[in-house]
Amino acid sequence: MKRLRNVVMLLLAFALLAAACSSSDDGGEATDTTATTAAPTTTAATETTTPPDTGGDTTTTAGEVDLTGRSVTVFGPESSDEEAGAIQDALNVLAADTGLRIIYTGARDFSDQINAQAAGGNPPDIAIFPQPGKLADFARQEFILPLPDDVTATVNDQWPEAFVAFGNVDGAQYGVPNKADIKSLVWYDKPSFDAAGYTVPTTLDELWALTAQIRDDGGTPWCIGIESGPATGWTFTDWVEDIMLRVEGPDFYDQWVSNEIKFSDDRVKAIWNTILDEWNIPGNVFAAGGSIAATPFGDNGQPLVDGDCVLHRQASFYSAFLPEGTVTGPEGIDVFFFPGDTADNKPVLGGGTLAASFKDAPEVWVVMDFFATAEYAEIRQAAQTERKDGSLSGFLSANTQQDLSVYQPIEQSFITLLTEASVLRFDGSDLMPAAVGAGSFWTEGTSAVNGDKSVDDATAAIDASWP
Amino acid sequence: MTTTKPPETSYGIGETKQLTGRVASLLGQIPTWVLWFFVVVWTIPTLGLFINSFRTRDAQRNSGWWMFWQDGANGYGSLTLDNYSDVLGTSATGGLANGLLNSMAIAVVATILPIAIAAFAAYAFAWIDFKGRDTLFIATVALLAVPSQVALIPLLQMYAGGAHLTLPLIDKTITVFPDLGLAGTIPAVWLTHTGFALPFAIFLLHNYISGLPRDLFESARIDGADHFTIFRKLVLPLSIPVLAAFTIFQFLWTWNDYLIALTMIGGNRQALPATVVIASLAGEFGRLEHLLTAGAFVITVVPLVVFFALQRFFVRGITAGSVKG
Repeated sequence: MKRLRNVVMLLLAFALLAAACSSSDDGGEATDTTATTAAPTTTAATETTTPPDTGGDTTTTAGEVDLTGRSVTVFGPESSDEEAGAIQDALNVLAADTGLRIIYTGARDFSDQINAQAAGGNPPDIAIFPQPGKLADFARQEFILPLPDDVTATVNDQWPEAFVAFGNVDGAQYGVPNKADIKSLVWYDKPSFDAAGYTVPTTLDELWALTAQIRDDGGTPWCIGIESGPATGWTFTDWVEDIMLRVEGPDFYDQWVSNEIKFSDDRVKAIWNTILDEWNIPGNVFAAGGSIAATPFGDNGQPLVDGDCVLHRQASFYSAFLPEGTVTGPEGIDVFFFPGDTADNKPVLGGGTLAASFKDAPEVWVVMDFFATAEYAEIRQAAQTERKDGSLSGFLSANTQQDLSVYQPIEQSFITLLTEASVLRFDGSDLMPAAVGAGSFWTEGTSAVNGDKSVDDATAAIDASWP
Repeated sequence: MTTTKPPETSYGIGETKQLTGRVASLLGQIPTWVLWFFVVVWTIPTLGLFINSFRTRDAQRNSGWWMFWQDGANGYGSLTLDNYSDVLGTSATGGLANGLLNSMAIAVVATILPIAIAAFAAYAFAWIDFKGRDTLFIATVALLAVPSQVALIPLLQMYAGGAHLTLPLIDKTITVFPDLGLAGTIPAVWLTHTGFALPFAIFLLHNYISGLPRDLFESARIDGADHFTIFRKLVLPLSIPVLAAFTIFQFLWTWNDYLIALTMIGGNRQALPATVVIASLAGEFGRLEHLLTAGAFVITVVPLVVFFALQRFFVRGITAGSVKG
């Protein structure tokens, strides 16, 4: 019994120690980032200088107010040490300049988490949304606040119009673009591609012709895998969106996203059939996991490098999934633009994240403003590249004023595509209501890919699930 | 169930012994190799995880763990400790070390609190006669049926803003639970774990404590002992096995808990326990999933230490039909 008591006492002591450590941790970080000026005296002063009302007419600039010692919490979906660490690195620079204490927390299941925190009355100061649809939901429920004029001005000034629009809800600007992805890309091994005498297709028809040519030559044209845990199927939805943007055009795409055009529309079903027909031709697809739906989307890098397949359509962040030590660029794994229906038509399917604020306070708007700037993009890109030991970072910004020299050549070509795109649309499934965009579109799409359901049944089921 | 009926276990020892004996002799006839077979089969996944934790990302993605001896030949890179150093290494995001400290801070207190409360309650339910005892006990045990998930968001709201009740008619608001600003802190997790552990803790301890021989209490009473003395000098020492058994259960449960800590702490990175930190290691698109193997083993070490330290009590807590004082 005495031994038991000793064990318990030891554990208890350890717990107290741990609690003490984590609280002293707070103090430690505060002193790291703040100057040693006393905070209490400034608090009263700032409260009088900031107008308490929300909305577009507040002008709170960092210069007027001493923010030393105030803290801002940022919450987002990027959680690995490389991504979250790079975001924190960038925020630390701002913290050192302003005396703020800024903490970024990343959670892999951000979407569920932010619902719980907002509903529970414990939201972060700033959340970084990967889905504009979710941001719009939160804006309409009045969880998040519209940007003040000066932040809106920075966003308008430094970002392409299309990206700014993703953060606009019913005419008011809520979101600050934080990161950009380009999805309309095909990855391939350039040296062996050139050696086999293939040429980069400039139209969709040429792409399908190239597919047939590779197959006739005895190769396997595509690596495709759509497995992604609970999100299985999203790769298929990207294919649908990309091809719809090409075949039917942006107006049709917008109507489809807003459900004015149903999934069971013949033109939408035709796109599904185009994709599934290509995928189902024997010898057209290499799927490492046995079938397309059983192959993790992240597992297509190795076969591409090994030459098991020639082409892989995936977003810009896929660079991070290539095997370690893979050479990228003209000497190795390169990309070409997923071609449009004509050579001149280059519609871009994009993605990205948007920051939005839950709290009206000068320190929060300072951080929001920072997210819109080129400085943030440059610091983050440099930090993330360093954290990946110099390989492609997986991060992109479409900020028009950033210094492109922090990016590698292949990344610069992505940014050019993003900023110069005549037509840019956000990933449609991220704009649709979650029940469809993060639900039935994935699951029914997977059923259709598996052959468990006909295209007619699957699309009808998606329409039925639209809230 | 009436209040006057003596606890059953203290009188059914003989039958229990017979049954136990028969079960034991039946179990004894199973050949050892069959048991070994199950042990091996049940251990294989863990072994695979363990081996994978030393393999590079490319190796894990491209071949099964049983191919580990060919990694070098396949060009995936040979066995390495990199995963462990990545997981444990200091990082801008706080890393696993901070998470382990938080886990410890959560698990230890969230284990001691419910045991302390439940031991008193179980004694009262078993040996103090008061009106409505059975009803109250049944109500307490019935709370076992409440799934914790349904209460998480309301609890978080209570921690974040307190709970207030506006009385109809007289239009007066009373504060049931003050706004203590607990949301996002470790004490919020303590309280939640304690609340959800109590029904089972009381149930388990009551079953054991009510089985202690009545004679013991009567003679103590005759010697002039009050309830506190009896509890401290008799009940606690006699209940060590069951207390230890519950300690292990509760410690493992709180140590491995993900949902409650995630909900209550949310976006406060400095208070997140190791389970949540590990889940986020993989990154937004799961690119670093290969680190989860090493993370899983790091987080397993502490519960293993606790289990082996208290194992002696654990076995006794389950099997003991202790009569002797």
